[in-house]
Amino acid sequence: MKLHAFSLCVFACTACAFDVDDVLDRVDTALTISAFQDNLRARLSGTLDLEIYNFEQPAPGLIDSSIDTLFNPRLTLFLDAQIGSQIYFFAQSRLDRGFDPSNHGAQVRLDEYALRVTPWEDGRLTVQIGKFATVVGNWVPRHLSWENPFINAPLIYENVTPIQDKAAPISPLYFISAPYYYGKYAFNPVIWGPSYASGISVSGQLGKFDYAIEMKNASLSSRPESWNVTENGFENPTFSTRVGFRPNEAWNFGLSASEGPYFRREAEPTLPPGRDIDDYREFVLGQDASFAWRHLQVWAEFYEARFQVPRVGNADTFAYYVEAKYKFTPQLFGALRWNQQLFGTISDGYSHSVRWSEDLGRIDIAVAYRFTPHAQLKLQYDYQHETTGPGDDNHLLAAQFTVRF
Amino acid sequence: MRTRGLLWLNAVFPILPVALLASATLEGRVELPKSHSAPVQAKRYQIVTKGGVLSTQPPLAVVYLDGAFPQPASLPMKQVAQKDLTFLPSLLPVRVGTKVEFPNLDDTYHNIFSYSPAKRFDLGRYRPDERPIPTQVFDKPGLVILRCDIHEHMRGLILVLNTPHFVMTDTDGHFRLGGLPAGRYTLKAWIDSRTTREKPVELKSGETLHVDFP
Repeated sequence: MKLHAFSLCVFACTACAFDVDDVLDRVDTALTISAFQDNLRARLSGTLDLEIYNFEQPAPGLIDSSIDTLFNPRLTLFLDAQIGSQIYFFAQSRLDRGFDPSNHGAQVRLDEYALRVTPWEDGRLTVQIGKFATVVGNWVPRHLSWENPFINAPLIYENVTPIQDKAAPISPLYFISAPYYYGKYAFNPVIWGPSYASGISVSGQLGKFDYAIEMKNASLSSRPESWNVTENGFENPTFSTRVGFRPNEAWNFGLSASEGPYFRREAEPTLPPGRDIDDYREFVLGQDASFAWRHLQVWAEFYEARFQVPRVGNADTFAYYVEAKYKFTPQLFGALRWNQQLFGTISDGYSHSVRWSEDLGRIDIAVAYRFTPHAQLKLQYDYQHETTGPGDDNHLLAAQFTVRF
Repeated sequence: MRTRGLLWLNAVFPILPVALLASATLEGRVELPKSHSAPVQAKRYQIVTKGGVLSTQPPLAVVYLDGAFPQPASLPMKQVAQKDLTFLPSLLPVRVGTKVEFPNLDDTYHNIFSYSPAKRFDLGRYRPDERPIPTQVFDKPGLVILRCDIHEHMRGLILVLNTPHFVMTDTDGHFRLGGLPAGRYTLKAWIDSRTTREKPVELKSGETLHVDFP
């Protein structure tokens, strides 16, 4: 039934694509307002995503569903406003079944809101305050459905590890075995999606270099609930930075770092006596590179992360991906991504070293067709394989139809 | 020497006035829609934000004489540049078969594309200093909407026409179209993608006809 509804929507939208396109262009104009001789301008825009996932249990990544075929609709609204040339405000609100694909009921969230001030025209300094995506890495600028060549995120942004932010493990063995007994949402990835945590950032450009520093209320691995300033204050902030080097328009290189406590307040009673959540931190070092020329775009990110885990010690992991997108025709593009995550070892408490999670690799293949500048269909296949331990496989098939207005 | 000059004038004179007298002129005014506000640039995920307000582009119309006219052997190259994250000019009327180049005058990548039935193309990402400058030949009449895959707010229009007799209005809607052949034609005013007004006209040699599109 859901599949039929999805197919019907896709067919209906494509059948009258060009008429709809003209209407959407007019909607775009109608949703832009200005006042004070164009000094105050605001635009409301958005995307409607209809997604279908088919996978094996346990569901891969951050998909939270006990059923194998999941229909996940999402309406996203953006507000962009400019006051003169120096002040910019944006907000993102979503109506969906959860921040990550899930079979739960509908919810409405204000995912992002930020005020940005750019005092100088040359971009040497920008200050931003609010709830917004992290400055770390190079995936954030393409994480929304229209810009993302894939339907999901790279492995590092969605592969849940044995790290828990709501409770400390009682022993090393508990730490590595807990994921088999509890729901996936009790655990955290190294970076949770675009990490829309709250805080302040300073960024800018100096010649061929750019920089960004942010202070946020939650670590990169923190769950979406922790990003709200009403839920999580700034008593234990996370600091992140990225320095970029752009030798020319085609190449862009970046170095990122992040450091901050990753436990939520409710984990405090489970910590060893005399210890505080500030004593257990997440450290992330990242390197990113991108290349673009004509119809080819390539991105890569490499991350080394360390979690200080109570009663366990340091849990280290290394993850990377290489992603390429190529436009075969003006409307058809394909994308390929190779992801891998490797885990270090910890002491199991009995003088043995054990890997704290299974190493895994994943290949993502996607093809997309843009019917118009406002409508796009993506199809994706993922194959994930554990390269250590039981060697479990998982296959994911996904389709996403997006209307942008 | 003087005699030779007079002889030359005698030879040329009968031709020149005839050519001038044979051409008709059209002038008038097109009622233009209200000016749109300047676009809002989405800068949500840019680490580096530069200042600057995008300029308002006033609406303009293209007035052209519809009819069957011979195709010339070659047409001059036209240009639509990208400067300050806008298309310059924002509206370009061209004759069928015209080659248009798209120089990037900004210090960032642009990726110009069109999905319009009259011309579907994607130039890919190209740098400001890239040579040769990307070009496209517009070989079918119709409206081509230009966009940039990187800068969502950018919009440009190329109106591909079958006639050599066209002119753009000024920002008040005034136009003057000279050098027209005598005869009965349809005069059209393209105002936007959904609005093209037309009026039948009869042009007589040496006359100036006034036509308004209210």
